[in-house]
Amino acid sequence: MEAPMIKITDLEKFYRTEEVETIALNKLSIEVKTGEFVAIMGPSGCGKSTLLNILGMLDDPDEGSYVFNGVEVAHFTERKRADLRKHNIGFVFQSFNLIDELTVFENVELPLIYTGVPSAERVKRVEEVLDKMQIMHRRNHYPQQLSGGQQQRVAIARAVVNKPKLILADEPTGNLDSSNGNDVMELLTDLNEQGTTIIMVTHSEHDARYSHRIIRLLDGQTVVENIMI
Amino acid sequence: MTKNYLKIAFRNLWRNKTASFINTFGLSIGLTCCLLMGIYIQHELNYDRFQKNGSRIVRVIMEYKFDGGSEFKKGNFTSVRVAPVFKQTFPEIESGVRMVNYNRVVQYQNKLIDEKAFMYADPDFFKIFSFNVTKGDPGSLLNAPHKVVLTESSAKRYFGNENPVGKSLKLTADSILYQVTGVMQDCPSNSQIKFDFLASFSSLGLAGQEKTYWDANYTTYFLLKDQGSINTLQSKITPFMKKEMAGQGASVDFFLEPFTSIHLHSEFDGFEPNNNIKYIYILEAVALLILFIACFTYINLNTARSVERAREVGVRKVIGAGKMQLFWQFMGESAILCAISTIISLIAAVLLLPAFNQLTEKQLSIQAIFSAQFIGGLILVTILVSFLAGIYPALILSNFQPVKVLKGSFKNTVSGQWVRKSLIVFQFSISVLLIVSTFIIQKQLNYIRNKNLGYNRDRVLVLPMSKKMLDNIAVIKQEFKSDRHIQNVSACVSTPVSIGGGYNMRSSVMPENQQIAVTANPIDDDFVKTTGLQLVAGTDLSEQDIKDVSNKDQNQNTYHFILNESAAKELGWTPERAIGQKMFLDASRPGYVKAVVKDFNFESLHHPIKPLVLFPEIAGRQLLIKISGDHIQQTITFLGSKWKTLVPDRPFEFHFLDEDFNKLYNSEMRLGTVLNIFSGVAIALACLGLFGLSAYAAKQRVKEIGIRKVLGAGVDNIVATLSADFVKLVFASVVVSTPLAWWLMNEWLQDFAYRITINAWVFIAAGGTVILIAVLTVSIQTIKAAMANPVKSLRSE
Repeated sequence: MEAPMIKITDLEKFYRTEEVETIALNKLSIEVKTGEFVAIMGPSGCGKSTLLNILGMLDDPDEGSYVFNGVEVAHFTERKRADLRKHNIGFVFQSFNLIDELTVFENVELPLIYTGVPSAERVKRVEEVLDKMQIMHRRNHYPQQLSGGQQQRVAIARAVVNKPKLILADEPTGNLDSSNGNDVMELLTDLNEQGTTIIMVTHSEHDARYSHRIIRLLDGQTVVENIMI
Repeated sequence: MTKNYLKIAFRNLWRNKTASFINTFGLSIGLTCCLLMGIYIQHELNYDRFQKNGSRIVRVIMEYKFDGGSEFKKGNFTSVRVAPVFKQTFPEIESGVRMVNYNRVVQYQNKLIDEKAFMYADPDFFKIFSFNVTKGDPGSLLNAPHKVVLTESSAKRYFGNENPVGKSLKLTADSILYQVTGVMQDCPSNSQIKFDFLASFSSLGLAGQEKTYWDANYTTYFLLKDQGSINTLQSKITPFMKKEMAGQGASVDFFLEPFTSIHLHSEFDGFEPNNNIKYIYILEAVALLILFIACFTYINLNTARSVERAREVGVRKVIGAGKMQLFWQFMGESAILCAISTIISLIAAVLLLPAFNQLTEKQLSIQAIFSAQFIGGLILVTILVSFLAGIYPALILSNFQPVKVLKGSFKNTVSGQWVRKSLIVFQFSISVLLIVSTFIIQKQLNYIRNKNLGYNRDRVLVLPMSKKMLDNIAVIKQEFKSDRHIQNVSACVSTPVSIGGGYNMRSSVMPENQQIAVTANPIDDDFVKTTGLQLVAGTDLSEQDIKDVSNKDQNQNTYHFILNESAAKELGWTPERAIGQKMFLDASRPGYVKAVVKDFNFESLHHPIKPLVLFPEIAGRQLLIKISGDHIQQTITFLGSKWKTLVPDRPFEFHFLDEDFNKLYNSEMRLGTVLNIFSGVAIALACLGLFGLSAYAAKQRVKEIGIRKVLGAGVDNIVATLSADFVKLVFASVVVSTPLAWWLMNEWLQDFAYRITINAWVFIAAGGTVILIAVLTVSIQTIKAAMANPVKSLRSE
């Protein structure tokens, strides 16, 4: 059997202030196979975002194991995590998180700059992906000049331009109306069908239905996993 | 990558116009101050460095004391004997030059000009000093009496474009023709030796005086064979002088001063007023402090603004940016900003240079700014400032964790605030320090201006006199006095502003071989009235007293002296007892004390009042004319027209006595003005930073303000809450800088024998001013924030 892309075992994460210790993830174990589209759901404060941050190597767990593509990354240094991240993972956020000072083209180009892709190649790949996302005509606009749906498409373009194996989406439709939201979900589905693994945090049952499997979290633990048909 | 950094840097600067403006403006001002100060300091430090033999030249300082006196007198004067005798005696000396500067009225065709910088020098002048002779034979420029070398400017003034070599100029003082033997380039502005004419020393006909070490009215310079021999030579001079002066009732010694250290380190002026290395340090420090203030504003604004940039950092990190890449991105931004500021400051410095020259009374040239050395230094400073200003914000920003900044409301860290607060305290401490210093300096200058000096310097015209005028002085006085607005006219050697003549005195009860060194001034019978000196005992000089010293046979002269209180005391008399006492001024002037005047400040207020003798003698070099003050213009016109007929050989060029007085405090006044400007700039920059910071603070606390308002806080409460933080910091600055300011200013005041005492109110006033300005600055932002509708601010969260 094929090894899972992501395998976390007994993952724990605490947040401490001087007086209170909050458990965000409580001995959580999850597996995600290559090519899967997984939705993570649960009420506010259940640990969804924490999980996504750890999966995206933006944060490290306090306890437990995280194996990514067969490599234990739970206690990687920041530099190593960053290196692994930039070649393998793309992010899509609820609030798009585009850089306001850069144009659409430049926003999408940025990951390629950080991975050291030469300039001519960058232009080719950015144009390719903008074309695919149907926002080529907006390439020289700034984020504020775009609608929410367009902004999220740019954000997705930016997330996939480096051809990541995994896309982490944090409520990608949360700031969009339903029509634009559906467009975005279609895009993600397309990407998944082309082989990209997707893990998406969402509040929306509607969006979750696009996935293969829903993991429901409560108080940092898996409550139930639904397999979608 | 770099292109991307540059792009985003420029766009960021452009988008955040207020912050960019504050940063660029602040840094530009800081750099402009540094630039101008840099040029000035470089000019001062390079003083006399163009002299190729500079390190081998020494100036001779004379020190003397009479056997009966206790006080040593010291100065940059020597007699004409020193140069020839020393050169013959000491093998260390390669050559020597004696110099003296006079006012001379020069006549050529119909031109009649009172030349203030007519220098006499020995022929070796051009061997010792490096001045560029452009016309004439350098070997024989000054080798005979009545030869003169002109500077290019003075040549132009008299001869236009003609070649002046071989032509003659007449000096009206002795009606003697001087032959122009050469032309040289103007003395550089950074030369302590400055003149317009250089005539042969032999023209003065002083060969007969080479027997004595007295009549020390000349400056002597020696060129040593080896610069290391100064100590050896010095150690030989003292024993030599002991021998020379044996049995003469006085001791005279000479000290050698390295030529290149005179301008900044000597207590005795060159042929122009010296500067003080202390003031150079002060200016250096002030310029640096201002640059620091600008840098700190940059640091503060950028760390405060880091909240705004946090998301960008987070996104970049998520996408794959490393910490170092982000660090260099932000450093790049500060470098760009500094580079822009540097360019602006260069332009500003060029534009401000004329005004700055006026302020410093220097002729600093724009070329100095664009010298390779200076531009190199400027680039270095720009890089340093980029680092100083940029490194902390860059470290903070590049360290942000994307998890923390991408979701939820991100607030500045506590430690970051601590740094910011310290920097604010530092900035305002500097401002308070400068403002307190400015206050105290102004107060001291006011004190000087308004102090009762014991004489009246208002409405007194000063005109230089020639010897010819002396023969005719009675007529001149009488003619002038025919106008009722002219109250008194007096001929004297020195004006009461600055009397420096070195003499010695002895009362008849003192042993003959004992003398007391004393300052004295030849005057006439109108001097006391003209200058408003106050008699405390005895009566003023009369015409008869002048006659008593004008006998053909000098041995029959009897002098009637006016002492100041200190001189009477020094001789052991009360003012009343002094009257009628027999005494001698130098052995050659026997006489009686006729009056005692109240002590007055006949030197700058840096010095305490010393003993002084005023004595009648027809030796006037200055004509003092006291006018009533009504119809000044008509009075001067009247004087001018009378002058033309009475004194045809001199132009009518006058100045007022209080101008002489002001000149004594030139360097202090300049320091005062410069500090005025700089403390203004410092407080403006500090407030600019505060303005920016309070804007961001208000922005960050917008939700808090909203909640407070919903809960019932009024605008005044909120303004008070928001301002309190800043005002506390400014108050802390006042506390921090007060002791330092007190200590520094106390040190500065020590240079004055007559000075103000530093009162607590100076600190209260300065602190109050700074706090007030700070409160006003902060209020602009806080009032705006406090007036905002809370519904808006709460919804936007």
